[in-house]
Amino acid sequence: MSEPSERRDSLRVRGVSHPAERVGIDRRRFLAATGGALGAMVLAACDSLGPRSATSLLRFAEHENESLERTLLRHTSMDVPRAGAKAAGSHFPSYFISDTVPVWDEAVRGAWRLEIGGLVSKPLQLSLADLAALPRVGYKLDHFCVEGWTAVATRTGVRLADIARLAGVQPDARYVDFQSFDKDYHESWDIESAMHPQTLVVYAQDGHYLNAAWGAPARIYSPVKLGYKNTKYLTRITFLPARNGGYWSDRGYEWYGGV
Amino acid sequence: MKRHHVIVRITHWVNAIALTIMIGSGLRIFNAYPRFARRGETFCCYPFAGRAIPANLTFGGWLGGARNWHFAMMWVLVVNGLVYLAFIYLHGEWRDLVPRRGVVRDVGEMVKFYLTIRKDHPRQGKHNALQRMAYFSMPIVGLIAVVTGIAIWKPVQLAPLTNLMGGYVWARYWHFWSMLLLVILTLGHIFMVFTVDPYSILAMITGRYRERWSPEARNARPFVHFLPRDE
Repeated sequence: MSEPSERRDSLRVRGVSHPAERVGIDRRRFLAATGGALGAMVLAACDSLGPRSATSLLRFAEHENESLERTLLRHTSMDVPRAGAKAAGSHFPSYFISDTVPVWDEAVRGAWRLEIGGLVSKPLQLSLADLAALPRVGYKLDHFCVEGWTAVATRTGVRLADIARLAGVQPDARYVDFQSFDKDYHESWDIESAMHPQTLVVYAQDGHYLNAAWGAPARIYSPVKLGYKNTKYLTRITFLPARNGGYWSDRGYEWYGGV
Repeated sequence: MKRHHVIVRITHWVNAIALTIMIGSGLRIFNAYPRFARRGETFCCYPFAGRAIPANLTFGGWLGGARNWHFAMMWVLVVNGLVYLAFIYLHGEWRDLVPRRGVVRDVGEMVKFYLTIRKDHPRQGKHNALQRMAYFSMPIVGLIAVVTGIAIWKPVQLAPLTNLMGGYVWARYWHFWSMLLLVILTLGHIFMVFTVDPYSILAMITGRYRERWSPEARNARPFVHFLPRDE
């Protein structure tokens, strides 16, 4: 044990209790007040959205983050799943906004075509056979969902950059919009992410043509964007001079959604 | 002489607010997928998979709202933390916080005192040995939280960083653990402030403190010897 200091000896008188020890009520009152205050703080925070006035500050932060993310984006940063990562296979989740799985009904809508339009010199209409005839690439890729989960699948399709070259995209096309036939679902991207070598118009997953649950007949997929940015049930790719929002981006998720 | 420099006092309270919002919004984000396994796999090391954090411990209202708060407040947390660290480095306050020689013995003596095995409060400088350890580890755990957070924010663009932590799934797990450690350190800190040294709240707001208020002078352990001794 350490030797008590002289000062402490003078302060400590054997058998005399400290004044605080004689006022037990204070301790109880103090505990009640502390507990009450902490409880009130928790209840006030209670799953709240935060103050309304913060919205513009949050928008400003999102804007600044986007600038930073766009400078971070490198076409040489390629997604490579972990060596031991298992493909999700049938565990790969299925998401759509319609009440039932969206299926392209040829009897009603005619044959499915992927339209490439907007700021292009040669608008295209590609059938699934046309897509399959274009230079094919396949990658085993991570999928990053906004919810925090990740899944691995092999994606096969055509580089969007290749399709853009075929259509003759004009230099003032700074944004791209991906439209689907899943209700009004669409998401627009910056052109840089769209031209990333791993950004594909995907028509096969894990070696099989897409099934309806995963976005048949074709979808956009890139590991540099969060899942919700990757439109499934693709019908039209439009090159634009300005951004065009998106289904989830208009509902409060960040527009850029980079990974 | 103020007990805490005004920069330390400001960064302390900014940090308290930023950390609370980061933890609340982070827990709301976690609730969107309250497990760690990659889809189609199992994860070894989280026994509470699938169990959401109670909503009234979360902040942001919904996933998108929580994400917006998280990615805005992270800048406040980081900039504020850097200001604090730069200040204590340049101004010398770090000397009150880094572990001294014999820290294990000193921590042991403090624990003995709190367990009433030892009757008199160990000698201390500005902080006791337990406080030193807590205040020293806080920025380190905070740094781990920030780095693991960046790794799961941009796992493709910053893949080398993410891979360093064992990939996205593990980086997310370490991010969760760093949050848990920060919560434990913070709750311990708040408990000790309220039960041992409530005067330090005044010191952290106005800077005012008196030697006779210190836990050492009062021989204070949790819930015991709140009032200063008579002069």
